[in-house]
Parts: sequence; C-alpha cells; structure tokens
Amino acid sequence: MEKKLLHVYPQRCTACRNCEIACSFAHPIDGKAGVARIKAFGDKEGRVGHNQIVVCMQCEDAACVSACPANALWRNPDTGAIYLLEERCIRCHSCVAACPFGNMRPQADEFPSKCDVCGGDPACVKFCPANALEYK
Amino acid sequence: MIELTIDGKRVQARKGEHLLAIARREGVEIPTLCHHEAVEPSGACRMCMVEVTRPDWEGWSKLVTACNFPAEEDLIVRTRTDKVMQTRKEILELLIARTPGSQLIAEMAREYGLDHPTLTVGELSEKCILCDICTRVCQNLVTGAISRINRGVEKEVNTPFAEVSDVCIGCLACAKSCPTDAIEFKQVGLERTIWGRTFDLVPCTQCGAPTLPKEQAEWLSERTGMKVEEYFVCVKCKAAQTARTYENIAW
Repeated sequence: MEKKLLHVYPQRCTACRNCEIACSFAHPIDGKAGVARIKAFGDKEGRVGHNQIVVCMQCEDAACVSACPANALWRNPDTGAIYLLEERCIRCHSCVAACPFGNMRPQADEFPSKCDVCGGDPACVKFCPANALEYK
Repeated sequence: MIELTIDGKRVQARKGEHLLAIARREGVEIPTLCHHEAVEPSGACRMCMVEVTRPDWEGWSKLVTACNFPAEEDLIVRTRTDKVMQTRKEILELLIARTPGSQLIAEMAREYGLDHPTLTVGELSEKCILCDICTRVCQNLVTGAISRINRGVEKEVNTPFAEVSDVCIGCLACAKSCPTDAIEFKQVGLERTIWGRTFDLVPCTQCGAPTLPKEQAEWLSERTGMKVEEYFVCVKCKAAQTARTYENIAW
C-alpha cells in the first residue's frame, strides 16, 4: 500500500478552525471533546492567504521518538504516522518538551496527544471547507 | 508458533509469550493492577491469577500469574473458574485491608462481591499497593530515584533512606503511572514538589508559562543530543513559532 501524507495548503486556509473542532471530536476523552492536535493560526493583519496550519509532520527522524524513554511512540507501517501507544506511555511528557514544532500537545493528567491521521482517515480533512487539507 | 486453549478457545501464540498478552489479544479479559506495557511484568499484585492445566496432567491444575507465565504447546488456560474468582477475591480482601484509601481497589472489590470489607490494617489514607510500577518505571526507564525501602509491614516506596534524592529529575512518571494515584505531588506556579524535593520549573523563554524542571531537560539533552535551552519553550509558543517559520517560507 502506498503511504499517504497529510498535505497542508495554508494559502487556501481561511482560519475557520473547523479542523480543530473536527480533531477534538475525533479524539474524545471520556465522551468529551479532547485536545485538538491540529492548529490553525489566523494572520494577525487579516491578510488573505497568510493563515497557517500547524500539524504533526510525522518526522522521519523524530525528536519525540528519540526522547521517549518508554518506546511508547511507534510508527505505524500502514499509515507511516507516529502513534502514541497509551498502554506503554508513562506520561513523563518528555515528548512534549522534545518536539521542536509544538505538535505534541499535553493534556492535564492525561496522555500527551499527537496527530495519528485518525488511523488513515483524518477527520480534519473531511471538515475543511476550503480544501486546505488533503490526505493523499 | 504454538497452539493453546484459553477459555475453551483454540489460539495461536509464540512460544514463551506471556499468557496475559495472548489473552488480551484474543479479547479475554483478565484484571491487572501491576501490569504496565512499558516495563517487564513482575507478578506483584496477583490479580491476573489464572488456572492452567495440560491434557497429560491427569486433571491436576495450578494457579499462575498470567502476566509472566510463558505459553506452552497444548496448555489449557481458564480465566474465570471458581478457584480463580475465589483467589482474586481473597487477594482483593487483603489489598483493601492494606489500602482503605484507594477508590480503585474499593471498586474492584465491589465487583468481586466485597461490599463490606471487614479487615483493615493500613492507615485510612493509604493507597499504595506496592505493585512496583513506579519503581520499575523509574529504575528501567528514567533515573532510578525510587525503590522499595524497609521490610515487612514497614515496606514502602520511597527514595533511599527516605531522604531528598539528588537523582530524581521531577518528571512525575512515577506518580502518573501509579494505578491507585498513591504518589503525591504538588505543582503550584513554577514549583513542583515530589518525593520531598521542590523543583523549579523553567519558565518559557517567550511567554513565561512553566515548562519542565531543569534536571529533566538536562537528562533529555543527554539522551537526545538536543541543547538544554531548546526545551525551555512551551508548546503554544513552539506552535506559534512554527507558524511564523512557515510564513517566512516563500510559497
């Protein structure tokens, strides 16, 4: 199977933040919306086409993976994405400190959260009205 | 590959694989307290007790801990026999006697029909069941700051001689991986206190929000080769920084 990537087209982003809401609801904690693993930044001056989307890049040589003492971060060979294995995680939040892009998000008393491309069917892509996100 | 039977179901497994791992893969539920995937099993809590036998054992069977019992060809595993349930109930009765303060143990005990435990030996606030998850996590994965100290009824988890540890990095992995939330820690503002030591959380270099203790950053830096200062930016500032970097890239 050919590996797909989450493509980001910030020029098209309207910073409506639907992706964040979709992400929160796709990763609930005890039935409630969780922390969004994707972040849309609206341009401060409101210029069109200057919004930004920050989401995990599933780095080849990932800082989170090398920082994890428990080997809880694992690359899924099917999707190519890095997953957090919650049963192995010791919640030391080393990965949160290590990710230089701020894509490993802490949740109080919970496991850190990161983009897992929803197991190969990312919710953010489906809810983006501007096609700023594509999974291909 | 070998074949064995779990609760009447024929399953395949690797030789030497632990029974608990096989059972979980096959969807058979076995309760555990001291099991954590990140560390080797220790068989400390005894909750995962199952009954095993073999066709050539002529009806004889024995109770073993599923978490560290290796699978063999033709083994017959039963996870919910009367003997198993009675044993688990007795274990819970002893655990609840030791740890009246733990809600998790009380809930598990109720599940096994122990609504009104009669025996109490521990202090009412006691929560630690000495399952060793915290000490195994710390010793095998972090810096080895805590262990079991003392013997017999005085046995407890603490730093050596219950003194302030200079090895602890304040990562809270012990407290967060504890199944009964028995390890107390406090985090107020830029201070985090655990095991009698207060760590100063380094404020984010951009917004001043607490990040992580300097000791943990140094430990991480040693393992990953990143500079210590790189750890002192909070997640929000790092994400904003990433967005700014993107902005500067010409499309």
